[in-house]
Amino acid sequence: MIGEGVYEVFARKKRGEPLRHIGYVDAPGDELARVYAWKTYDEEKWFEMCVVPRGAVIPVNRDDGPWGRNRRGREGDG
Amino acid sequence: MTDSAPSPLARHILSLADTKRLLGIRYSDWILGSPSIETGIAASSMAQDEWGHARLLYSMLKRLGYDPFEVEHTRPAERYYSAPALDDPFADWADFVAATVVVDGALSVALDSIAGGNFPLARSRVPKMLAEEEYHHQFGAAWFQRLAGSGGEGAARVAEAARAMLPSTLAWLLPGDGLYRDLVTGGSVLPLDAVRDRCEARLGSTLAAARIRLDDIEPSRAGWDGKRRRGPGAPAEEAVERARGDRNRDLFVE
Repeated sequence: MIGEGVYEVFARKKRGEPLRHIGYVDAPGDELARVYAWKTYDEEKWFEMCVVPRGAVIPVNRDDGPWGRNRRGREGDG
Repeated sequence: MTDSAPSPLARHILSLADTKRLLGIRYSDWILGSPSIETGIAASSMAQDEWGHARLLYSMLKRLGYDPFEVEHTRPAERYYSAPALDDPFADWADFVAATVVVDGALSVALDSIAGGNFPLARSRVPKMLAEEEYHHQFGAAWFQRLAGSGGEGAARVAEAARAMLPSTLAWLLPGDGLYRDLVTGGSVLPLDAVRDRCEARLGSTLAAARIRLDDIEPSRAGWDGKRRRGPGAPAEEAVERARGDRNRDLFVE
């Protein structure tokens, strides 16, 4: 769909547990990304769930993963 | 369930339950064929929510002397109490989005009203439904504002769909008849003006994206059927067959 963005989905089952990456959703904006994430990954009883635009994830130690282009793009901008 | 008129509270709960059951069916029609995989999953999840809520509401009728199984599985279409906007399938995605805002929104306002009343089962069970409904609200508001703000055909269609659903849905939400007044007097639900205010709070800002003001919409009360707490007509037979589970009747194990 035109205007869709990719959002990475992170969640934890209990307070104090680390957030872990559980998947992604395509959504045209933050509000629908929140709803789609909750409705797509609701088979678990999550304590907390967050969505992050894929373009906002900056890789630290390697560039060949799914987020590698973000770092390369920012370096190009600089 | 007998053919005699139900009590005011039973009529009210049947109206909520039947509307949720039909809304679930209409949502389920779009699990396949919606604009994206994510919207299809959301439609599926929302359909499941509505059916679960309907089941809980039907079960409340047992406390009022009804057999929930009979209510769920034996009534013909003309004895359904559901909101008229759900009688026919959604023609397109704009209908789906408009129903999420208008009908689902009105349902949540009605549930909020009975959750604050003095019927113990509603006080204990409805708050969880309302929490689940928040995601329906966010889904509907985001999609409605997106379509309404897009200009062109999508904006015109979603506005047209909402305007078509509002008059009968407002009449369903705000029945100005004696049975409803009995409920208010008995403390089961909020007075009409309070329900109207909450409807404005729930739907108003979303509908404004299509330049629709609730104050400009006249509830459609022509042909009001007091026994079923709705306007004239009935849900399409095919939907009622699905709601009753006719095809798998021999497999019922309840």
